[in-house]
Amino acid sequence: MKNYLEINVVRFIHLLRHAGIRIGSGEVIDALNALALLDLSDRDAVKAALKATLVKRPGEQPVFNKAFDVFFAPPEAKEKQSTEYRQKLDEHQQQLEQAGEELSFQGTALDLSDKEKTVYASIPDKDREKLLDYINKTSSGKNVEQHFKPLLESVVKGSLSYWRKSLRDELDLSDRPQTGDQDIDALVDAVGSTGEGGFGSLLEEDMQNIADKDLPRAQALIRKLARQMVARISRRYRQSKKHKQLDLRKSIRHNIRFGGTMFRLRYRSRRVQKPKLILLCDVSGSMARYASFVLQFIYGIHAVVGSIESFVFSEDLERVTESFEQGANFNATMLDVINRSSEWGRGTNLAASLRTLRSKHAHILTGNSYVLIVSDTKTMALDEAVREVSQLKRRVKDIIWLNTLPQQEWEHGKTVQTLKNVVRMYPCNTLSELEAVMRRKIII
Amino acid sequence: MKKLEATIANLRKTFTDLGYITDEEVLTTVYLSLKLEKPLLIEGAPGVGKTELAKVLSQVFDTDLIRLQCYEGLDENKALYEWNYQRQLLKIQISKETACVEDLEQDLFSEEYLLERPLLKAIQSEKKVVLLIDEVDKTDEEFEAFLFEVLSDFQVSVPELGTIKARQIPMVVLTSNNERELSDGLKRRCIYLYLDYPTVDREIEIIRARIPDIGDKLSLEIAKAVSLIRSDQDIKKKPSIAETLDWGRALVTMEKDRLTKNAVDQTLNLLLKTKSDIDAFKSNIGAVRLEEYVRTEKS
Repeated sequence: MKNYLEINVVRFIHLLRHAGIRIGSGEVIDALNALALLDLSDRDAVKAALKATLVKRPGEQPVFNKAFDVFFAPPEAKEKQSTEYRQKLDEHQQQLEQAGEELSFQGTALDLSDKEKTVYASIPDKDREKLLDYINKTSSGKNVEQHFKPLLESVVKGSLSYWRKSLRDELDLSDRPQTGDQDIDALVDAVGSTGEGGFGSLLEEDMQNIADKDLPRAQALIRKLARQMVARISRRYRQSKKHKQLDLRKSIRHNIRFGGTMFRLRYRSRRVQKPKLILLCDVSGSMARYASFVLQFIYGIHAVVGSIESFVFSEDLERVTESFEQGANFNATMLDVINRSSEWGRGTNLAASLRTLRSKHAHILTGNSYVLIVSDTKTMALDEAVREVSQLKRRVKDIIWLNTLPQQEWEHGKTVQTLKNVVRMYPCNTLSELEAVMRRKIII
Repeated sequence: MKKLEATIANLRKTFTDLGYITDEEVLTTVYLSLKLEKPLLIEGAPGVGKTELAKVLSQVFDTDLIRLQCYEGLDENKALYEWNYQRQLLKIQISKETACVEDLEQDLFSEEYLLERPLLKAIQSEKKVVLLIDEVDKTDEEFEAFLFEVLSDFQVSVPELGTIKARQIPMVVLTSNNERELSDGLKRRCIYLYLDYPTVDREIEIIRARIPDIGDKLSLEIAKAVSLIRSDQDIKKKPSIAETLDWGRALVTMEKDRLTKNAVDQTLNLLLKTKSDIDAFKSNIGAVRLEEYVRTEKS
């Protein structure tokens, strides 16, 4: 076949791109040029060449290795993969159809998304029967009218969303790849279904779900991210000779020793003031873990921040700056803070907390300070909280809200919508989101 | 010396002769970068032999190594060229009375007053040189952008002199410790190599190549011990290959032929250089367990 090599390489690159590796067209040409220089029957050499020209991030190497093995597999293995994939698709389709039939109200199907149907198909048999039983009863009882359907729908949806959370680990809700080429679809599926292990998966994991055994790894990752960020920004606060604006006064003064000949030039450089951060962390209930990660990150970048004041709040506010500054064991301190705060009860009262901040710590609210609120926005006395937030906003440079709810859930929350109008709000559900927020130069 | 033709077999042989032991993947990647005349970007943890690779490359082709060490705040003036401002001033002072103004101006911006920095030197060199741009992740993004401009065209323009084209495209090696992610643009222009710590077997080869007097048992035990220490999460600064070799040399000097608890205690500071790492070693592994580990387990 003509252009056999080119077609295969391009298809392989297609697969890599679907697996999330960014590849430019220049690199495709490099890859082809590289292969032209090598013995194509040498599998290792081909692999090394493709890796060197296409994959340029250490984290992507496991994905590449997997993709290479899958793509350049013997024909029989490939055939098997493709059949398995087709079976999987058929099964999934069947599940959906069955779920559609079962989940109906007086003969008409309930309005549920495919994902919800998948969840339905995956819940344990006993519980599924219970749910089905409930639906049947509701739709066949006396005085049942058609307009009960939306009500039933929302009940079923609620139940499914519960299951979706509790089955999270077993469910495969990722969208099926759609490349228009079924062979490649099958390969993408095969590549995607292998756990990568590395830092990559931790980055995308909901911080709340990071298991205790992964904590050391997560902390190492946070330290690494923080270090990278410090390396990137610290330069901005240094004196530099690069600013090409001559400081005449300094130059003349400095060169008097050379008899007024301008021998060494002095340049003007702007002094940049480091920002001050005021951190407010919600530590009620499930929020503690997010707070601990954010705190670790912020303390990791303390070198480029003027000063950090940290507070935790749930029903009221408490200053914890000292506990963290003593340099004691971070985990022990955090645990202590959380244990203390859990004694306060479970509710969150942002309004009361902010009032305390304004009255007791007024001196730290200056025009140079940023307030970072880490919270899922669930608070009592919303209206009052909004008022307090807007009042606080006038006192400080800016308020940035790190919302720990996953972004797709934002539209359902009233508190999110209301508070979003008052402050800048960013998603902060995973470590990668946390890093993205910090990177956006909103603060530094 | 006869010019060496770049083939994978030749590279393998000369690399081994020079004591740089490596695997096929690295050789293939280096070969491709030479053949395609593209810069080679090497990433990896500190101490895996990134800089060493460039040095060896310059020895292989018997040519000069021009090194640009990057650091925060490095700018074009220090990397590319600078006018020798002081010398220009002196010239003006000396010829204040005598010279004709136009001649003087012509004169002042000639190559005589140009201070060549590594990049310009590499481009202007008659011979094909190895240009090592070390720790490129330490610079800032602006400089990186400038760098990939130079690396893609191999020409630079000096406003007063015009454009200078490379006489020979140098072999460029960039290294990065991955402290900061490099821009996509720079990465696209490079052939990429990720160097990891060597496997136990590979490390044994390295140790034997570099320390000929070492015994078989000791080299195996050193390699295993180092690999165990590197795998410990709490040890922040992992022992580099150079440190492994130092350790090996020390043990050979002390006339040890096996790794014993006492020897480990006495020489540990050659391998681990901070107090916290040494403490972590003592609490997590300890010299006794290390000795047991290297003795019992088969490799």
